[in-house]
Amino acid sequence: MSTTQQPVIKCSSLYKIFGDNTQQVIQKNDGKIDVTELREAGCVVGVNDASFEVYEGEMLVVMGLSGSGKSTLLRCISRLTDTTAGEIFINGDNILEMSAKELIELRRNKMGMVFQSFALLPHKTVLENISFPLQIKGHSTKDAMQRAMDMIKLVDLTGRENYYPRQLSGGQQQRVGIARSLAVEPDIWFLDEPFSALDPLIRKEMQDEFLRLQAALHKTILFVTHDFDEALRLADRIAIMKDGVIEQIDTPANIVLNPATEYVRKFTADVPREKVLKIESVMEEIGNLTEADLSDFQVPCDAIIETVAEKVLSESKPVAVVDQQNNIVGVLNCHTVIHMLFGENQVANA
Amino acid sequence: MNYIDSLKQRPKLLQFVALLIVFFLLMQMTGDYHSLIVERDSFAKAVASGEIEASVGFTEALGMLASGQLPPQLIRIPELSFYNLSASLSSTSLLIVLAVFAGMSYYSHQTSISKGSWVSKQYRHLFTNSLTALLTGLLIMPTLFNWLFGAATMTTFWEIPRLINELAENLMYNWFPVEIYDPEIEDYEDSALIKELTRSFSRSLLFLIELVREILVGGVKTIVAFTSWDWLEENKWAYWPALPWTVVASGTFLLGYKLKGLGLSLFAGLTTIYIAAFGQWEPAMETLSLVLIAAPVSVILGMLWGVLAFKSTKIEKTLMPLLNIAQTMPHFSYLVPVVVFFGIGDHAGAIATVIFATPPMIRLTLLGLKKVSPEVIEAGMMNGCNSRQLLFKVLVPTARRDMLLGVNQVIMQCLAMSVIASYIGAKGLGFNLLLALNQLRIGQALELGVCIVLIAVVLDKLSLAWADRQMDYFSNLNFYERYRYSILFAAVLLLGSLLAYIGSFLFQDGINYFYLIPHNKGMTTEPFWQAGVDWIIDSWFYSLKSFNEVLIINILIPMKTAYLSMPVIATFTLFMGVGYIVGGARSAIIVGAFLLFIALTQWWDRALITMYMVTFGVIVSVIIGTLVGTICVQNKAATNFILLVCDTFQTFPSFIYLIPVIMLFGITDTSVLIAVIIYATIPATRYTVEGLRNIPPSLIEAGLMSGANRIQRLINIEFPLAFPHIMLGINQTVIFALFMVIIGAMIGTDDLGQFILKALSDKQGIGNGLMLGLCVAFIGLAVDHIINTWAKKRKQTLGIE
Amino acid sequence: MKNKIIKAGLLAAGLSLSFLTGQAQAADSSKPIVIPTHNWSSQVVMAYVIGGIFESMGNNVEYVPADSQAVYEAIRNGDVTISHEVWQSSFGKSFYNAMAKGGVIDAGTHEAATLEEMGVPQWVIDQNLCPGLPNWEALKNCSDVFATADSGGKGRWLEGPQSWHGNLMPDRIKALGIDDQYVVKFAGGADAIWADLAAAKKEGRGVITFNWTPNFTDADGFAFIEFPPYYDGCRIVDGGDGACGSPKGWLKKAANYKFPKTHPAAYTAYSKLSFSTRNIGQMAALVDVDKMSHEDAAKKWLADNESVWMPFTK
Repeated sequence: MSTTQQPVIKCSSLYKIFGDNTQQVIQKNDGKIDVTELREAGCVVGVNDASFEVYEGEMLVVMGLSGSGKSTLLRCISRLTDTTAGEIFINGDNILEMSAKELIELRRNKMGMVFQSFALLPHKTVLENISFPLQIKGHSTKDAMQRAMDMIKLVDLTGRENYYPRQLSGGQQQRVGIARSLAVEPDIWFLDEPFSALDPLIRKEMQDEFLRLQAALHKTILFVTHDFDEALRLADRIAIMKDGVIEQIDTPANIVLNPATEYVRKFTADVPREKVLKIESVMEEIGNLTEADLSDFQVPCDAIIETVAEKVLSESKPVAVVDQQNNIVGVLNCHTVIHMLFGENQVANA
Repeated sequence: MNYIDSLKQRPKLLQFVALLIVFFLLMQMTGDYHSLIVERDSFAKAVASGEIEASVGFTEALGMLASGQLPPQLIRIPELSFYNLSASLSSTSLLIVLAVFAGMSYYSHQTSISKGSWVSKQYRHLFTNSLTALLTGLLIMPTLFNWLFGAATMTTFWEIPRLINELAENLMYNWFPVEIYDPEIEDYEDSALIKELTRSFSRSLLFLIELVREILVGGVKTIVAFTSWDWLEENKWAYWPALPWTVVASGTFLLGYKLKGLGLSLFAGLTTIYIAAFGQWEPAMETLSLVLIAAPVSVILGMLWGVLAFKSTKIEKTLMPLLNIAQTMPHFSYLVPVVVFFGIGDHAGAIATVIFATPPMIRLTLLGLKKVSPEVIEAGMMNGCNSRQLLFKVLVPTARRDMLLGVNQVIMQCLAMSVIASYIGAKGLGFNLLLALNQLRIGQALELGVCIVLIAVVLDKLSLAWADRQMDYFSNLNFYERYRYSILFAAVLLLGSLLAYIGSFLFQDGINYFYLIPHNKGMTTEPFWQAGVDWIIDSWFYSLKSFNEVLIINILIPMKTAYLSMPVIATFTLFMGVGYIVGGARSAIIVGAFLLFIALTQWWDRALITMYMVTFGVIVSVIIGTLVGTICVQNKAATNFILLVCDTFQTFPSFIYLIPVIMLFGITDTSVLIAVIIYATIPATRYTVEGLRNIPPSLIEAGLMSGANRIQRLINIEFPLAFPHIMLGINQTVIFALFMVIIGAMIGTDDLGQFILKALSDKQGIGNGLMLGLCVAFIGLAVDHIINTWAKKRKQTLGIE
Repeated sequence: MKNKIIKAGLLAAGLSLSFLTGQAQAADSSKPIVIPTHNWSSQVVMAYVIGGIFESMGNNVEYVPADSQAVYEAIRNGDVTISHEVWQSSFGKSFYNAMAKGGVIDAGTHEAATLEEMGVPQWVIDQNLCPGLPNWEALKNCSDVFATADSGGKGRWLEGPQSWHGNLMPDRIKALGIDDQYVVKFAGGADAIWADLAAAKKEGRGVITFNWTPNFTDADGFAFIEFPPYYDGCRIVDGGDGACGSPKGWLKKAANYKFPKTHPAAYTAYSKLSFSTRNIGQMAALVDVDKMSHEDAAKKWLADNESVWMPFTK
């Protein structure tokens, strides 16, 4: 991810304040936003000074507990709610300045969204639901149906085209939601807690499905969840929100290893690091070790620790870490792995 | 001691007991006036003749109170006098209106924060501004002027009907005269603008109704609409032929089959055949043509206003009280205004029907839209819907369930109105029914009533099936398959016409039974029904008669006397007190305001009589309804059956049972109350069934697990939980009872209803009708407010909904 | 589809307006004469009879159901052209109210003399339930014969709806000094009175009720009470003491004020038209006794009585 590239989504100093007297308070302050004063005036601060960028093909997961403002942030960026202050750029265009018509065009062609409660139209069949955005866009019925059939195949719902949403299970309904959001082939994909309403087993299955789809589609994704494990599992980067403020925005590994605030630390405390961290984040410099000092076994640098731990521990020598071109980029010591697996305290007690 | 402690735990109960004590104390304080108020109107007569004072001075009043006697103004409210509110429509007053409006709008624009979008955001200001401006210019300023400089004539609240009347007459006959050339009398005539506008609206509406009608039963009006009567005179051949009834019957059969399948098609087809065979074809098609226009108009209007109310809470807030009034106001009270503004005829019937049928559609549309989850709306927006697509492709279809309930209500209401609509010119079953009743041909009236119910049910089922139909996108249909039903219908049309043609040679008595079966040539079951009615009357008459006498002498007359002997202060204390206990000061004020309006009119005594009949009717209906509902809900089949009975009775024209009831019980309050009870038991039963059915199963299981037997479960779990819903049913029972008490004027009552009927021929018919209608509506709304507030709070406490 | 219908409707309304402004003619307009039908048999049959007469003269006719009280407002506005049964006692008030407001004209009186008065069914006389009837003085001695449960021991004086004569009856019994023996009960409408009569007949009980003649009750026999005779100004509203019976009433014909101009020939016939008590009785009997439909009854009556109605059209 090079920073020279133009971000697909860019937010700067985004504010969203709820409350009838918001405008009055802001006007009184000559347009400046004073969050404390607003709160005193009885306003609710949804998003507080959020700034970040999302790049093409990247998946940013916004994680936070309920009321943290994560869904509000998502709705600001999709302009489902009005923003109080700040700027939002999609592919360089400020969407807050777009006319209703431009916005509709943008949504029809560039954006797709998946909702927590699936938000399917109850009076339409699976097929009609999926073809809905296409028909809204003005595709011919035949075209739309053809395309919808492709989407049905993609999300593995073949045979259920003429079912109504109420006849489907939660997981199936969300597949329809996903298919619908992808029907117009959007560049940007918003997912608002898409799997929260599902049972744990189904959720896992849907996450796998989702990763499979993303591997094939490479969308730019803004994914909102309250489930930290889910965030770790899916994200390229995670933004952790609390009370409308983005506490930290970083890769999963960095968040786990270097929590920026006390709040983030609490989240990461119980996270089994071996399940999250990639080897590159814990490997050591190769230093003055030679080939002979290393075992024959080599591990790829982007592997998750857990997946190689057993093998590494069974080796007597440090293990070489290689990148995709098979160059050795570092070494992994046995004690590092033990440390990761059992944590400092346990080791000390032992 | 224990008992008092437990009372302390329940302050509301304590308050209520205290209220009752105060109420009964006040009831005892009428003293010398008692004999004047137990007989309706005699207090007012005594005041008018100078026998007694309408009010006494402050010190005297105190003295009377000290001696345990209420002063007269607390027994019956004296006439309220104020300065002449002569509504003025002069150019000066219009100028004042404009000036005030401009000034206020300028001010609110200046003080507004967001000037740019002021118009769109502050239109409520525009609305209130224009209202204030109109009031100032048309009422307040002229009144002030009269008071200061003019001859100040005293007017009273009692004259408001006259003012309303004058306003309406001015609008219809004098305001803004335009010259219209009338070729019939070869002269120009002055006609008021409003009248011309409403009449051209009437013409368009009538054209639509007649178009549908003539497609069904033939005629010339549609041809005339495009040509003229003169043209028709010269072209005698021009006549639009009726669809033979065989074609309509097969058509309904096909339609039913296409929409739902064999079951519906058989039901719809057989209904059509029934109507034709029993010789009700023409009146039924006349009624149908009115309903086919009035129902869609109501549905569209209802959806429109429902959507507008959904989009703006301001519209919702303005609309809700209007809906409340429209739904509680007796139909008879707006018949005269409709006739004056729109004339007499099918269109007038349609307009009255629409006024009556639209409110439930608005409510249910709004309810449905409010239930659409915000995520579905967001999904629509993210799919790129513009606001029109969002409305028609997302919101409306998602809210479909409730809207279909609304459509069902509209259809039922339209047919329920068919009898009343015939008072102002609607042709069809309703009129024939009245005619049959006037000849005491109850059997015939029953047949007509059955036709009305059947049409309602068929229309309801067909519209439901239409809304539920599914599309097939992939089947590759050939021409025949695609247009199968149209082709079949064309074939049926051809065949039917051929049959009708053959029929014209076949029958001897000059009537073509394959084309149209005339009104009196069908089969009839009249003798059967008549015999049934006669049997009931013969075999029950004497036992019912003694029952009737006991009821009247021991219950009804004392009850009526008790109501009339209530001093006005006691009535207010009771209602406002209950309002306060249930909903705090706000409720007390609302209820008090409703009552005050009634007390200020000259019909307070009449309103008390209405209240007495409603009270009795409601008590009995609720007892029957809850009992029947509770018993039926224990069994699924019985539940469905009782709901079906409820539906039937709701559409069945209540006029029919008025006559047999009179034969059994005479022209007495008993007859009215029986009719009231038959009608008002419907909602009491329905809501009991629904309330008991919708208790969360987990709670019932909890009851089972704690070892409660059926009765214990019913008393301790099901009833308390269903009670709020049942209370809503009682609320509806009150409204239904009010409605029927007013219709009871057809039997003979001396309450508000009699005056509403009288308004049909009054000089001040519009004003009197509307004011009386409001009195009835306000009784309903006062009770409605109390019960609704209570039910809402109770449901919150119980955590239901 | 809906849209098209609405457009067509607007177009039609416009068209019909534009055609209305066409040339005028000396003969009767071809626009239909609107005749109201009310909810009692003789009126409906007579409506079809008069319609038949108009049709025989080449006019177009249209029938519209209407409430018998509200119809005068409709005539005034021109929505209905005529009303051919204006009973003095029941509709006189509405008729004169409408005439005072303008737009309604008096198109003459039927030959039939009507009487609208309190009376008792024949069996009350036959069984001598109240000796001395039909003289009103007899009522003083038999109020108990007419008592009902809700009349508080007094005799029930069954009057039509209050909209018919206002307080006439309460005033009358007071003026006659029998208000301590009788109490007025207002019935809800004619059908309520008929139902009560039918029930009373089954039971053979005494009943004193408002009724009129010609009416279908004539067939069963109905005796009107003989009150002190009516004279102008005897009623309380006219400044009298109110102790008098009803006058021999008239049965008038009302019409919209434009009717003579738009349909001169038809109006002439209409103003000449006059039915006798016998004629009206025949019309009602065809329906009430022979159970014919109203249209058929009218056809039959027209066919049987050409000599009666033909002269009107000349």
